[in-house]
Amino acid sequence: MSGSLSRRLAHLAPVFLLFLVGGEAAAAEKRVLFDQLGRRLEVPAEPRRVVALAESVTEIVFAVGRGDRLVGTTRFADHPPEAIRIPRVGTYIQLDIERIAALRPDLCIGTRDGNPRAAVERLEALGIPVYVTHPMGLAAMIASVREIGRLLNAAEKAEEVASDLERRIAQVALRAQSAGRRPRVFFQIGVDPVVSAGRGTFLHELIEAAGGENAAGEAEGYPHYSPEHLLRLAPEVVVITTMSQGADFEAVRRAWQRFPRIPAVRDGRVHVVDAAVFNRPAPRLVDGLEQLARLVHPEIAAP
Amino acid sequence: MRTPLPLARIVRVKLLLLPLLAAAVLAGLAWGSGGGGPQALFRALAGIPLDDPVLADIFWKIRLPRVLLAALTGAVLSLGGLVFQALLRNPLAEPYILGISGGAAIGAILGILAGLPRFPWGSLASFAGALGTVGLLVLFASWKTALGKDALLLSGVMINAFCGAVILFLISVTSDVRLFNILSWLMGDLSLAAMEQVVLLAAVTAACAAALFFLSHGMNLLLLGRDAARSLGVPLEALTWGLLTLTSLMVGVSVSLCGLLGFVGLVMPHLMRLLFGPDHRVLVPACVLAGASYMILCDLLARVLPRQGEMPVGVVTALIGAPTFIFLLRRAVR
Repeated sequence: MSGSLSRRLAHLAPVFLLFLVGGEAAAAEKRVLFDQLGRRLEVPAEPRRVVALAESVTEIVFAVGRGDRLVGTTRFADHPPEAIRIPRVGTYIQLDIERIAALRPDLCIGTRDGNPRAAVERLEALGIPVYVTHPMGLAAMIASVREIGRLLNAAEKAEEVASDLERRIAQVALRAQSAGRRPRVFFQIGVDPVVSAGRGTFLHELIEAAGGENAAGEAEGYPHYSPEHLLRLAPEVVVITTMSQGADFEAVRRAWQRFPRIPAVRDGRVHVVDAAVFNRPAPRLVDGLEQLARLVHPEIAAP
Repeated sequence: MRTPLPLARIVRVKLLLLPLLAAAVLAGLAWGSGGGGPQALFRALAGIPLDDPVLADIFWKIRLPRVLLAALTGAVLSLGGLVFQALLRNPLAEPYILGISGGAAIGAILGILAGLPRFPWGSLASFAGALGTVGLLVLFASWKTALGKDALLLSGVMINAFCGAVILFLISVTSDVRLFNILSWLMGDLSLAAMEQVVLLAAVTAACAAALFFLSHGMNLLLLGRDAARSLGVPLEALTWGLLTLTSLMVGVSVSLCGLLGFVGLVMPHLMRLLFGPDHRVLVPACVLAGASYMILCDLLARVLPRQGEMPVGVVTALIGAPTFIFLLRRAVR
């Protein structure tokens, strides 16, 4: 993981200032770089009209202080509050190519996890460069922060944000280490049916980083669970995110109370958390990590 | 028995339907979420530079492939409906209702899961799936049941339900990210149309439509009943398999590119028959033109009706098509 990451970064390090595109009044300087998938692309040296193709990208762009360059974003982008005023270009899975083109962006920033490849190809066929991030995991998310910072000439601010995130993650790791025992944590992201996050997901990584053991760790991806399977799993901590909109989360929590044999239920450790900080690979994920660490190891709660 | 080719009528039908198709194409180009409108389109067509240069890209690089793909799919599915209605002598037959589109979808999904590149292998897998369901259908049709020719339609409906279950099964047992975007494709989606897809479908459609036109006299004789057709010297087996293979090919490729678009093969063939009579030598070109126009307009509705985003065009075709089915069923009962 870290090996391939550093290789990717090595790709990016030499950012060539290339040629001038003449002719039009506002001749834009271009540079060539590689995105997080290792695809070569040519982007403006100073992107001014940026469309974020995912909510997480929007949050990162704002985090590095370039929110004012966003001319378009996806339907559910609601953080920070300034993002609400930006025009919408469909959902990250179903992008509205026409509307994106009509916004005349000089750069789109997308995500491998959701944006259809065909949509990226259509945009590139229109001459719009699409930088694709691949933020699978905390380290890769932080790498995306640095990359997007470099892309938008906000490397300094991005470095500040990224190293702060790294410092906070290290702190959580330190505390988790001192706790020793790793409680079995069941992270519930779906209500009906019960869905959790297994290996290979960033929620899995989050649980481990917070000093817990993922109770759904024997599965990969996003497994479904029946009530009897939950009894067998016997998690010590249950964390329910408010991912499914409109569901009654107190009712979900009460549903767990039917099984007092489950250690988490017996010990009163069934918690509801705000999905917004957990379901987007953006800097707020570290807020989620800290919150999770407090739930997993309340005995060594952070100041 | 063979009447001379009704050239004059074919030309008349074409003269009537071509302007319709042209109007549909223009409407399909003019409106959409990226702005535009007829005025801007006519300026672009006349070569007058537009105030907003991006509009030209939107017209020619985004909407044109989309409109063309819609036209081709519409033509393919209408022709498919026409062929099955003749072959099965059942006014309610249509590729989607008979489960042939569903079979093609299974083929396409298996192709994606096997890691085949969507182009052209995905389309071939889709063709294989369509051919497989057609084979099953023919097998079921050969059984003698008390239900007579309705048995075939019922078998088709069941094949369709079965295909739907297999598709949901495949989606639920794999957490494959490649199936992540499959739901909108399943509902029929033209929003990501690209020129390569248009070229592929155009080549297949042109070849198949020409071949079907060549077989249209045989299709006329099929209307008289299989025994009568055989006694008139129609090579029944060869004609049947020829028609089935051609339609499977067209429908398979169309499904692999555009997803499941239901009931299209019902609406246009019936309307054309009402307008121009039962001669397939007229109906084949008529269905091509009218089906193309119909699908372009359905796609336009899918684009402009929702206030935010768009809906899959399959929703529009089903909203129009399913009531048509009921209407035709009522007429067939009388």
